[in-house]
Amino acid sequence: MPADEPAQHVLDVRDLTVAYGGVAAVDHVCLHVRRGEVLALLGPSGSGKSTLLSAVAGFRPPTTGEVWLQGRRVADPGRAEPPERRDVAVVFQSYALWPHLSALDTVAYPIRRRGARRRPAREEALEVLDRLRIAHLADRRPAELSGGEQQRVGLARALARQASLYLFDEPTAHLDTHVRGVFLDELVVRREASGAGGLYATHDAEEALGLADRVALLNAGRLVQLGTPEQVYAEPVDIWAAGLTGPASVVRAAVVAAHGGRCSVVVQGHRVTVEGTAATPGRDTVPLLVRPGWARLGGELTGRLRAARFRGPHSDHLVETSMGEVLIREPGPPRHAVGDDVPWTLSRIWPLQETAAPGGVAGPFLSRAQSRGRSDSRPR
Amino acid sequence: MQARSTDLGRRAAVLAVGTVIFLLVVLPVFRLGYVVWTEGSTQLDEVLGRPGLGEAVLNTVLLAVAVTVTAVPLGTLVALGLRRADVPGRGWWRFAMLLPVLVPQFVLGYSWTQAYGRAGFTDTILGLVWPSVLGPWGVWAVLVVNTVPLTYLFVAVGLATRAEPNLERAARASGGDPASVLRHVTLPLLRPSIAAASVLSFVLTMESFAIPQVMGTPAGFTTVTTTIYRDLSLGSDPLSFVEALTLALLLVALTVLVVIPADLWLGPRLRVTRVANPEGAPIVTPRGAAGRWIAAGLGGYLLLGGVLPLVALVTAAITPAVGVSPSPGNWTLDNFRFVVNARNAEALGRSALLAFAAAGLLTVLGGAVAVLERRRAGRVMASLVTVTLVLPGSTLAVALLITYGRWIGGTLTLILLAYLAKLWAFAHRPISGALDRLAAGEMQAARASGAKALTAVRTVALRPLAPALLGAWLICFVTALHEVTMSSLLYGPDSDTLAVVVLNSKELGRIGATAALSVLLTLVMLLPALPLWVLIRRLQSPRHPRAGGARSLAHAR
Amino acid sequence: MPGPGFSCHGRWRLLTLLPLTLLPLGCGAGSGGGEGEEITLYTCVSDETIQPIISGFESDNDGSEVKLFRAPTGDLNARVAGDVRSGGLKADVIWGCDPLTMQGYVDQDLVGGWSPEGAADIPEQFRTDDYVGVAVLYMVAVYQDGAPAPSSWSDLAGTDYDSVAVSDPNVAASALGALGYFSQEPDYGLDFYSTLEEQGAQQVGTPDEVTAGVAQGAYDAGITIANSAYLAKDSGSPIDIVWPEPGAIAIYGPIALATDSADSTLAKDFISYVVSEAGQQVVAEAGSYPTLPGVEGPEIPADAPVVYPDWPKIDATKDSLLSDYQQIFGG
Repeated sequence: MPADEPAQHVLDVRDLTVAYGGVAAVDHVCLHVRRGEVLALLGPSGSGKSTLLSAVAGFRPPTTGEVWLQGRRVADPGRAEPPERRDVAVVFQSYALWPHLSALDTVAYPIRRRGARRRPAREEALEVLDRLRIAHLADRRPAELSGGEQQRVGLARALARQASLYLFDEPTAHLDTHVRGVFLDELVVRREASGAGGLYATHDAEEALGLADRVALLNAGRLVQLGTPEQVYAEPVDIWAAGLTGPASVVRAAVVAAHGGRCSVVVQGHRVTVEGTAATPGRDTVPLLVRPGWARLGGELTGRLRAARFRGPHSDHLVETSMGEVLIREPGPPRHAVGDDVPWTLSRIWPLQETAAPGGVAGPFLSRAQSRGRSDSRPR
Repeated sequence: MQARSTDLGRRAAVLAVGTVIFLLVVLPVFRLGYVVWTEGSTQLDEVLGRPGLGEAVLNTVLLAVAVTVTAVPLGTLVALGLRRADVPGRGWWRFAMLLPVLVPQFVLGYSWTQAYGRAGFTDTILGLVWPSVLGPWGVWAVLVVNTVPLTYLFVAVGLATRAEPNLERAARASGGDPASVLRHVTLPLLRPSIAAASVLSFVLTMESFAIPQVMGTPAGFTTVTTTIYRDLSLGSDPLSFVEALTLALLLVALTVLVVIPADLWLGPRLRVTRVANPEGAPIVTPRGAAGRWIAAGLGGYLLLGGVLPLVALVTAAITPAVGVSPSPGNWTLDNFRFVVNARNAEALGRSALLAFAAAGLLTVLGGAVAVLERRRAGRVMASLVTVTLVLPGSTLAVALLITYGRWIGGTLTLILLAYLAKLWAFAHRPISGALDRLAAGEMQAARASGAKALTAVRTVALRPLAPALLGAWLICFVTALHEVTMSSLLYGPDSDTLAVVVLNSKELGRIGATAALSVLLTLVMLLPALPLWVLIRRLQSPRHPRAGGARSLAHAR
Repeated sequence: MPGPGFSCHGRWRLLTLLPLTLLPLGCGAGSGGGEGEEITLYTCVSDETIQPIISGFESDNDGSEVKLFRAPTGDLNARVAGDVRSGGLKADVIWGCDPLTMQGYVDQDLVGGWSPEGAADIPEQFRTDDYVGVAVLYMVAVYQDGAPAPSSWSDLAGTDYDSVAVSDPNVAASALGALGYFSQEPDYGLDFYSTLEEQGAQQVGTPDEVTAGVAQGAYDAGITIANSAYLAKDSGSPIDIVWPEPGAIAIYGPIALATDSADSTLAKDFISYVVSEAGQQVVAEAGSYPTLPGVEGPEIPADAPVVYPDWPKIDATKDSLLSDYQQIFGG
């Protein structure tokens, strides 16, 4: 863990509010990005991710609060530095490529703005394109590029900026797995070399968890949770956060005792001891999160198999139990027929706060569809 | 099979529009040329070698260049200022900028002399006279004032439809300061709109008549159009007539020299196919001193260019006679009573209907040329329809009369044809400037979803093009309603239009009545213009204010 | 032949948002259709004068109809030229605003060759064998209240006036008449204009603009037509009018029969009516000066002197006259 001092922060957002006509799109948010770190902003559409990025990039002045970059205050309600003086690079959602410029000139643009002459700027731009394996497209204009190629040009332009903070506005939304891998690797290399940070807005949980060092969950402009991918996955603060961060089965049961990272849950009249904790053990049933890997097929509990789906490396089994439906993920193809009674074992739970979150309780199959905006971004 | 039928459809469209162009533009101009050739070929040397003609031609070209190089940058500046800076009262300014367009041209020149000439408004009140208001400088100034709203409109439409704010944001985030972004991103994106505005400004100045006549002729400043007018006024003999036609064709030749290279060579190079979806709320720099300066500049421009002349006009309208002090005790509505009567109202109604019909047809015709000029076969069409715009109203009217008068002389149809021929380029250029807002994929998606070609146009293309189409419609409507020369030459029994009303009030030598009529016309113009403007404003706002905007960086709510 | 022009409209109609656009096409009725006889009149005379004349004539000749095309001289010329090249002149009668234009039509054999009986009563200065003057414009001097009244035209070129306004003979036939008259007068000649110009005279467009300029105070005095000056004065403008020595310059508006309509009784009747005392009375009541002696028109001071330009001579020397004038007043 790097030292958590403001001087080490590439970005510091302090109590930031951005309001449009009295409605706060970003509502008193505090967060920071450390040197060499990628922070993912995870939230559904309209949660304020993009507005937060605009305020950091300098496209929107804050209504209240401050934005600090590299230990320097760049925006407060009275004064906002323009984007070109902020040392940030942006990858736009729909690329925002200039239709009148070739790929080479597009990537050379930020280099030229740094003061380079035309020729060296173009040479450097060609190197960046080459690193993204699109040097052969240097003379093409956006209209002559495919969607994936356009995106790589957009990324190349951001990389050529050599900024200390990279802002991504859901940039991978249209990309296939292979290309995404190529440029994420590229990004990791650059980030480690220059000590830059990244702020990565997305609504895809799998992407956020797989990419970022830390994840910030945003809902209706408010920061709901901030933590490592492991934390937000295993210990979401509420039902809404649980549904957002991955496949989640929310069941109800009483947690009667808890001690030293283990606790006792009442299932089918039995006390089952599993990994987990509870704030206040008692006899009342409370909502509990069960991730797909936290239960297994086989064991002393029984349930009825409601659905089974083959997913390649593993299969998802939806099991109806006395505490509710539980999604169980097992390697290999489905082993039981739908409708059969199946044995199962609960190995871990996470108690959730009862909150009325938008979208309601996230069901196991539903939650996957919800966390994926587009049909083409298949999970790896 | 499908491909072949589309190809066939395309060819049919080219053929159809080509036929209309032939009938409305080529044939009439050819008839003029034929008259000049058969009746005047022997005197051609004499006509072209006439003393003063060279000067008139030089004046015309210099004026056109001077007006264009002033009005286009000014219009661009205003459009950028109003779109990209937080000017106090932006919405209001955007509307106010168009007010000078609503004032009929024959009124504008006159009202300037009333405002700034000797014994004019400023002279009476402040003792300020601008002696050169009559002469080339005055003509230039008024033409610029008259042209700026048009160039502003073109560039503003271009800004709204072509320069998506995210493209500028991307440049800022790449380290470009505002000046660099303007130079490398915004202006290149606006090039087609600026080019369209320049061509129109150039051509409109060449054909402008009312202002050079009112403000230039008294000071001995002649242009080709005023020379044509003189030829027609002075001589009922065939030679003068042929002289006038020859000069008109000379204007056509000058236009062709400028416009055809611009369209054929420059046009395709200026256009770029765009890929990005329009998104992002407009960039608005925070309110600051700049915004107030812009507001002050605009205020000054409107005050000097529009408000003062109009106040002078209103003053003249409510004063019983020239030279009577315009104090409240002397105010009268007699001039209005004189102008408002059943016959005039009928003529005005006829004009409005005619303008309405012409504007609708012109929007379709202009759109057709804008679409077809993207193909090699259609490129020359754009230049051709510009040819009739430059023909002075009187000669174009004569050309149509000679060509079709035998069959439809004296009917409203002939006047309508004249409007279509005259204003085609007016409708075409703004639409053309905005057409590449339409990404090819959008139309294909509509076709793939089961829409026929026309359904695809109606459901997918019309919406994003709506600001440009409505803008074109508005310009055509206003211009057709103001039109006086052609209809006063072509009207017949029961087809008298506004032109006759204007003529009546002018001929009586009653300045007050002319002023009253002008005031009324300007007010009448506001009736359709205001709601239409509001509609255009609404259409220009982002397309998917909630769903689409929420995901984009620039536009989150 | 509107068909071909809209051959594609069936296709495009689907596109247009404005189905109304095609409505007015049906309205242009063209000629024909009325009952009884009808004639077509081309004129540049003002609406206030022509409408009462037409009403008077139509009520005298039941069932007949006079179709009117009225336009300024330049447009009238263009329309006539267009007519001639698309099937012939459509007018039966032309009532012009100056003899030069009418002479041009005569030279092209479009009008003329017939005079009404009443023409003999019209003064000789106002007619030829081909056309008869039925209304007159008088060029008079107008001056601001407070400025000295000029007694002769030459006074305008004196030092009493800082600025005198004249109208453009290239634009207004009346101004051309005045130019022709002065150039032919031994005491004046083109030198008169040179002196005016040296004294600071300004050229404006039309006589109406001269009147307005003087009324407004932009000019001390000017040469304009009497109707315009009296109208301004009567509605309160601070100006006065003088019919200077050797005389107000008379420019007559002639009427003529189209050669193609030599057989039209109605057209001849119309011309006879305008020349007749009844017709001249209507002209006078409408505010124009009639040509028939004895018919009382608008205000003329007692014993006001009048002079008559030599129109054939002006016609012959027009081009050189205008170019000489051009040397004096800019351009």
